[in-house]
Amino acid sequence: MRELRIAAVGDVHLDESLRGRYRERLDGIEEHADVLLLAGDLTRHGTLEEARVVADEFRDLPIPVIAVLGNHDHHSDLPAEIASMLSEAGITVLHDDATVLDIDGVRLGVVGGKGFGGGYAGKCASDFGEPEIKAFVGHTKRIAERWRVALKELQADRRVVLSHYSPVKDTLHGEPLEIYPFLGSYLLAEAVDAEGADLIVHGHAHAGTEKGVTPGGIRVRNVALPVLGRAYGVYCL
Amino acid sequence: MEAPQYVAARVQRALAEDERTHELGIRVDVRGEQLFLRGQVTGDERRALIADVAGEAAPGLTVRNEITVMEVRGPGEEEKL
Repeated sequence: MRELRIAAVGDVHLDESLRGRYRERLDGIEEHADVLLLAGDLTRHGTLEEARVVADEFRDLPIPVIAVLGNHDHHSDLPAEIASMLSEAGITVLHDDATVLDIDGVRLGVVGGKGFGGGYAGKCASDFGEPEIKAFVGHTKRIAERWRVALKELQADRRVVLSHYSPVKDTLHGEPLEIYPFLGSYLLAEAVDAEGADLIVHGHAHAGTEKGVTPGGIRVRNVALPVLGRAYGVYCL
Repeated sequence: MEAPQYVAARVQRALAEDERTHELGIRVDVRGEQLFLRGQVTGDERRALIADVAGEAAPGLTVRNEITVMEVRGPGEEEKL
């Protein structure tokens, strides 16, 4: 089976002032990678004007592009509209579901979604108390369950999970401990560990570090642009 | 006099909530009459805008804008997993 080259980046936070600046860094991407994954926070304020810049920067690339949205992309309450604008530009947008690409006969399955927060094992929010806390934790629990089901049903040779929020603490190293519960949740890692995957990529934690691993041994890469400092990371499976 | 911790917290909230910035990743410290801003952004315009919003949220303080503008490099080496 041939090796698959997964390019990934998140938190590009594009707006009109950055139009064209990202695109020039994608020249020749097909020589480095078979697919490009975008790990959310593609816009600054989640407006349709910014989403149009994102669509234009990533449309008609010589390799497939798969994206999830991030918290910034939700700020203007237009996630569905942003997702359809990206879809019209040929970008596959995942919302707690899966897609499978055939790359020279190798099936690459990608399960993805925004993810959410709550914190990490032993130091996290619980589904208890006020309705506001239950809603917060419940949102993450539902997402994790949808990822588990999507992974269980996924028929592919290689399996990648694409998230905005972080499933592990390892890749948050450098962020203040106090904000960990807003950066991700162990429930996401637990769901992926239960069904198995070859790689998890996420963004969101701008001050974190690139490399980590789940308790079950799945490699995790924080591809937030400020962490990478390069146009995209490339991971070979 | 307002405690510097509250001033820094107010500036940090302003940077996150002001529609001109919505910036979550900037560290804010107040030392005496000085307001320090540190972090990374993608352009000069954004760096200046953050200083404007911070200054408005803490009138009377001198803004020390130590934010750096990030240079994005090419893709670099691939990693084999």
